[in-house]
Amino acid sequence: MSALSRWFNERLALASVWRALLDREVPDRLTWWHTLGSATFTVFMVQVVTGIVLATFYSATPDHAYDSLQYLQREVASGSLLRAIHHWGSSFMVVLVAAHMIRVFSMGAYKYPREANWVLGAFMFVLVMAFGFTGYLLPWDQRAYWATQVGTNMAGTAPLVGGPLTALLRGGTQLGAATLTRFYAFHVLWLPLLLGLFILIHLAMVIRQGIAPRTDALERDAPARTNDPQYAAYYRDAYKATKRGGVRFWPDVVGKDLIASCVVIVLIVVLALALGAPLEAPADPTDNSYVPRPEWYFLPIFQMLKVFPGSMESVGALGVPLLLILVLLTLPFFDRGSRRNLRHRPVALVGISVLLGGFALLMGAAIRGTPPSVVAEVGRPLTSAERAGRALFTRQCEGCHVVTGVSDPKRPKNENEGPKLSEIGLLHSSGWLHSFIEDPTRFHGDTAHMGKFGPPVLTHQEIEEVALYLINLQGAPGSHLKVDIHDTFPEPKESVKKGGPSP
Amino acid sequence: MTEPLRPIAALDETENARENVGRRRFLRIASAISAAIGGILIGFPVTRAFLTPAFKQRQVRGWTKVAQADLVDINTPVKVDFVEPINDAWIQTRALRTVWLRTEDGEKFTAFSGTCTHLGCSVMFDKARNQFVCPCHQGVFDPKTGAVLDGPPPRGLDPLPVRVVDGAVQVTLKQFRTGVAERIEI
Repeated sequence: MSALSRWFNERLALASVWRALLDREVPDRLTWWHTLGSATFTVFMVQVVTGIVLATFYSATPDHAYDSLQYLQREVASGSLLRAIHHWGSSFMVVLVAAHMIRVFSMGAYKYPREANWVLGAFMFVLVMAFGFTGYLLPWDQRAYWATQVGTNMAGTAPLVGGPLTALLRGGTQLGAATLTRFYAFHVLWLPLLLGLFILIHLAMVIRQGIAPRTDALERDAPARTNDPQYAAYYRDAYKATKRGGVRFWPDVVGKDLIASCVVIVLIVVLALALGAPLEAPADPTDNSYVPRPEWYFLPIFQMLKVFPGSMESVGALGVPLLLILVLLTLPFFDRGSRRNLRHRPVALVGISVLLGGFALLMGAAIRGTPPSVVAEVGRPLTSAERAGRALFTRQCEGCHVVTGVSDPKRPKNENEGPKLSEIGLLHSSGWLHSFIEDPTRFHGDTAHMGKFGPPVLTHQEIEEVALYLINLQGAPGSHLKVDIHDTFPEPKESVKKGGPSP
Repeated sequence: MTEPLRPIAALDETENARENVGRRRFLRIASAISAAIGGILIGFPVTRAFLTPAFKQRQVRGWTKVAQADLVDINTPVKVDFVEPINDAWIQTRALRTVWLRTEDGEKFTAFSGTCTHLGCSVMFDKARNQFVCPCHQGVFDPKTGAVLDGPPPRGLDPLPVRVVDGAVQVTLKQFRTGVAERIEI
């Protein structure tokens, strides 16, 4: 022992801490499945560390959230990698939590004496899902905005409390600035605080009660039910017997945990490097054509809405998930049989098969039902002025003009059908388009077709927005056509000349 | 819990001792390697992203046209306000900047930053006294050289690079740390 460690040991009694936490005897023949819990904890730490740096570069306002993400991805070294790690980390978190729960369920480890830790774990599962739901909104892109729109609307289907509940989630009646700060505060303050605290209690209970052993060790000669008065004494002896193998927490258990955690981190980083994290166009509340998709782990609930007809929607959206959570929370109290191996518990086996099978079916249906792809934004994301222009275009111009990939292909033909505008941005400048939209008759005498859209039909600002939108239309994505503008303006009419300033 | 732990050595002497020793050594080494790989994979991007601002190159400031050379008064400092577009991380804003131009012949110009070197207030020109005066703490500067004549400022007004191109006065706007005698650009 070095002088330094002696100095600390004398003051803090580290040797006893070492004995209590690391150098303790644990049950023998623990499986690799036993590493799932600590792997989940590792991913939580990864999320905390990457999340802190992401928060350093994030602005939780609708005006700037998206721009701050762009800044992170373009200007910050490793910024997009960091975001991708956090993105994939969230999926791994959900997968590992679920796998850990299935492991504990299959080995009957939620039974005596670990009922309380199971209940705590079920709450932690809900917290992890809440992390996913709140984090999804933060990029403030199209999918964030619309998925949260649907998610908060689902709360609105609840009987009696629906309205107030939605307003509570959104921080108002509409999804907007108040929703974003609210979700952000939950995502970075409340949820980490609660989950961190719960993890500490969860681990303290594991240390106090010991790791749940292999199932056969607790089944031989066991009383049939765990609430049998004899069971506690039986359990104490049977559990002690599992520790005779001389297996120590360090390095026997910790070593396997660290290897599993390392594999998980490598997988997350590889996926992050290979696939990145999605970032769509900025949220556009005026875009009613966007088809919202939640994150994959919410897809079964999303699909459930389609299973239940209209008036029963709240049953699928809220009733089924709530019922499942209730079953999870009360499981250790109605399942008191002492058999622990899943093969000896037919009801439990059927139960989990139905649950996982249903999950897989709903997931499969949801994936099959995914529309091929959302209308892709061509080139860079549109600015707010251009998006306003697109909204005006849909209202004012689409009756006669088609834009491929944007206009509804099934819309009825108009007898005054005007030219297709899919490539108009290649031919004209925004100034020319502004002038033309304002008064086409200036350019040709033909008054039969397109009329004047100048004030009072559209204001000059609105015409400018439409023109700014139109110059973005430069053919199908990837066509790389050359811009070729030869704009000619008509001679100003006499009346205009007279009105103008004299030289 | 109550029973004292058997020392590892005693355990190893009993059952499958050699296997236990070998496994423990493997797990210790594997633990160290796993922790190192995981730590580096996450630690590297985290540290790199966090340290980005420390290694960012300062943006090179260009020349900004601030006045028409023949319109600047002779021998009297002229205050010129102009709008500078600013990239503030993910926010694009514009800032109103002020420089003071002074010329004796309409050809050679000196330019001073309008920011007081004491605590960053905007200096004014007192025509009656023919001096720059800072309204905050009564710092007084020489109109010709910018040197401190009175008051708390630690150094004279900061001169800015200035040139005349095609009759247009151009300056390069720079900002300096206030409150210190040394001229340190920020």
